[in-house]
Amino acid sequence: MTNDLEFFDACACIGLPAAAPVGVPDPPGASAEELLAAMDRAGIAKALVWHAAQRDGDPLLGNDLLAEALAGRDRLVGVWAILPTQCGELGDLDEWLGRAMAGNVRAFKAFCEQGRYLLRGEVIGDVVERLLAARLPLILPVATEPAWRDAYDLLAEFPELTVILTDLPSWGADRYFRPLLGRYPNVHVEISGYIVDGGLEALVADYGAARALFGSNYPVMPHGGMMLTLAHAEIDDADKQAIAAGNLQRLIAKVRA
Amino acid sequence: MIAEGPLAEAFWRHGRCAACPVIDMHGHMGRWRGIWFPRPSTEAMIRTMDSCGVRLLVFCHHHALFAPDVGNDANIEAVRKYPDRLRAYMGINPNYPAAIAADLRRYDDHPGVFVGLKLLASYHGLPWDHPHFAPAWEFANARRLIVLGHTWGGSRIDGAEQVRQAARRYPDVRLLLGHCIHGAWDDAVAIAREFPNVHLELTAVPRYQGPIERFVAEGLTRKMLFGTDLPWFDPHHAIGAILSADIRDDDRHDILHRNAERLLGIADCGFRIAD
Repeated sequence: MTNDLEFFDACACIGLPAAAPVGVPDPPGASAEELLAAMDRAGIAKALVWHAAQRDGDPLLGNDLLAEALAGRDRLVGVWAILPTQCGELGDLDEWLGRAMAGNVRAFKAFCEQGRYLLRGEVIGDVVERLLAARLPLILPVATEPAWRDAYDLLAEFPELTVILTDLPSWGADRYFRPLLGRYPNVHVEISGYIVDGGLEALVADYGAARALFGSNYPVMPHGGMMLTLAHAEIDDADKQAIAAGNLQRLIAKVRA
Repeated sequence: MIAEGPLAEAFWRHGRCAACPVIDMHGHMGRWRGIWFPRPSTEAMIRTMDSCGVRLLVFCHHHALFAPDVGNDANIEAVRKYPDRLRAYMGINPNYPAAIAADLRRYDDHPGVFVGLKLLASYHGLPWDHPHFAPAWEFANARRLIVLGHTWGGSRIDGAEQVRQAARRYPDVRLLLGHCIHGAWDDAVAIAREFPNVHLELTAVPRYQGPIERFVAEGLTRKMLFGTDLPWFDPHHAIGAILSADIRDDDRHDILHRNAERLLGIADCGFRIAD
């Protein structure tokens, strides 16, 4: 089975980060073409991709750069950054969402710490209502404690929202994410940062394989770490395949145009 | 299949590789305050080692570092139970100098248990050059022991300057830079090149693209040592990341086992890995 796993990466990035790591060669995979070449080397079929400029520079510029880079590349599915609507930055919200869908965007991401806004109904409620209606996943980076608090706040208000928790801190984060998995049925964990020994097996045993999504966090992290971890996790083969690709495919298939 | 080459193929197919028996030079053991570990027990860790092809783990029990009431007894008990699979670092907590003195006095009472000392200065709050550490440094220097020190970029407690000072002052200590002065890769390279007694221990490093390739390109392959912080991190993750790195299989053999074999003076610790 190991050799037959098909991978759909739920966390890949293109574009140059504003603050590149010091003391290492230039990060590979900055362009869509380089990402695809790295995916070919690793044996990854598809990827859900965001752009570094969405986080570091300007979310709207990042969305445009991503759309341009992904055009005609069906193996790469886009993630657009959201913003609050009160400043009018997104323009007509339905038109903005329509452009996203036309550009093969199938998930959205909230960089609320960098964007300096709160994940609350009065701030992003109108965006979230539309995501809910279209069953579009919202990706929430949870590398810091304030980010976890934001995720808890948002889910308390929108318990049915499909959420993908990403950027988990490398220290095991079970005490943060398990309460969310237990309470909210549409919360999922992207596992590139979840590398605690035996963690994946425990997550599957307690919440089911449907709640975990394979992610690589490429190009910050190499592809092979989580691939080997998942391939040899002590869970059954069907669960491995669901985590490797099936769960993300299912989430995307549920999206209503 | 992650990457090209026989090692990637073997680990991908079997999860382990008989021709590449991994030695993990940085482990812990037992529960700890900040993380829920699914597999913190000695037995569970041995099981993980079996599934990942790790033939030997050198560790320091969390109790030896964080529970002074228990101290190093937890290390001794675990190695006595699995002498073919485990060796320990004696934990040094500089906040308890009397306990350090007592532990060092009885170091020889436990042959086959300890290979050296473990420092976790950032967590204990005192820098490597604090006088409370001196007896441990001098003990290790006199005996040419391995000292695994947690090292972190930007730290005044166990960052690059403290490392340079210790490497210079204690040239016979075989100093393992745990986490490679994490993030300060330029310093790690410079120090490893300057001091023959300094080695690069890789826990938490392979997860980032770049440092592994950089260290190898700088000619430091024979100074790099595999580590995982087990039970913190799944060994398969670090192994998979090293298989992903743009280096040769020969380099990977050095990193995953050969360098540790040389450092520990072992050709065979009596455990076989089945394909």
